[in-house]
Amino acid sequence: MNDDVRVALDALLLSMADDEFVIGFSDSEWTGVAPMLEEDVAMSSLAQDELGHARALYDLLAQLRDDGRDADAIAYDREPHEYRHCRLVDHGRGDWARTVVRRFLYDTADTVRLDALADASYAPLAELIGKIRREERYHVMHARAWFERLAGHDGEPRRRLEDAVRHLAQDAGTVFADLPGEGALVEAGILNAPMADLHKRWLDQVAARFEAYSLPLPTAPPHPDARHAHTDDFRWLWGEFTSVRRLDPVATW
Amino acid sequence: MTDSLPLDRPSPSSDGRTLEAWEVFRQEKEGDPMRHGGSVMAPDAELAVHYARELYGRRQESVRLWVVRRADVHELEDPDLLQPPLDRSFKKPGGYVMREKLAAARERSGQAKPKARSK
Repeated sequence: MNDDVRVALDALLLSMADDEFVIGFSDSEWTGVAPMLEEDVAMSSLAQDELGHARALYDLLAQLRDDGRDADAIAYDREPHEYRHCRLVDHGRGDWARTVVRRFLYDTADTVRLDALADASYAPLAELIGKIRREERYHVMHARAWFERLAGHDGEPRRRLEDAVRHLAQDAGTVFADLPGEGALVEAGILNAPMADLHKRWLDQVAARFEAYSLPLPTAPPHPDARHAHTDDFRWLWGEFTSVRRLDPVATW
Repeated sequence: MTDSLPLDRPSPSSDGRTLEAWEVFRQEKEGDPMRHGGSVMAPDAELAVHYARELYGRRQESVRLWVVRRADVHELEDPDLLQPPLDRSFKKPGGYVMREKLAAARERSGQAKPKARSK
């Protein structure tokens, strides 16, 4: 693997791991306060799945870097501005409708990204993607079920869903923000198309769902800063998820 | 998003606004009987299947789940029908108890009791 590919692969793994880590941690905040007990269990379980995927991706990144820092060090020992998750998951979880819309947008986008990596020429990644895809399939079904429920019920559910779509529209496609060096990944047969193409694929896939519920399709192209500019929502979340680690960074748990 | 699992089937009779109980049956491995696992509360069949999966299937403890609306179960618990007061042991699949008659017959014919069959 040449240096260009290695650097780009590093950026790809970090962006995916940070996406999964941040949305997983953010959604885990519903534990104990979800709208009903069964949903509490379901959302907590989805959040755990995402943290599991993040861990596996951080592990893979740690192997690639081989600099003595493990998955935990990558996950927790960075300043907020060093995280590379997209703006979509940077938003706070908001109300239930916003969480549902964010999950729906993220899970459908993540599916397109995973599909584009399924035949990656980098075997450890292809193998991991195969496992993650099987779990993400359920995530999409769950997100879609709730999206349709809120969108299809007039009154408060519909109103809150519309608010959430409006709130997230600008950042909806940011999973596909340009990745530094992504051309090298395409050339090396790791990623099967540039992010801009994946963004189009994703819009094609979700368009019918938005149309069916007369919702505006969030077509805004991802801002180039979408994985760098973080909000106060995230800085607060970072304070939460690093709080125990920072008590004693070298402790053995 | 191209699956045709029961999750994708609409649930026609539900308004999606009220929770009701769903009974969950699970199969631990292929060929096992479906056993009752427990129940979940859900507004419709689609979410009931999701929640059944979360509570009775996400730790790889099941290979198949059946999710049934509790209201669709026909229940019978009448003791007059299920626990009749008179002796009806002749209706049991084992039939009459033959042990003593057999022992007497062996005695008469001088045969020994056959050994238990090995499995």
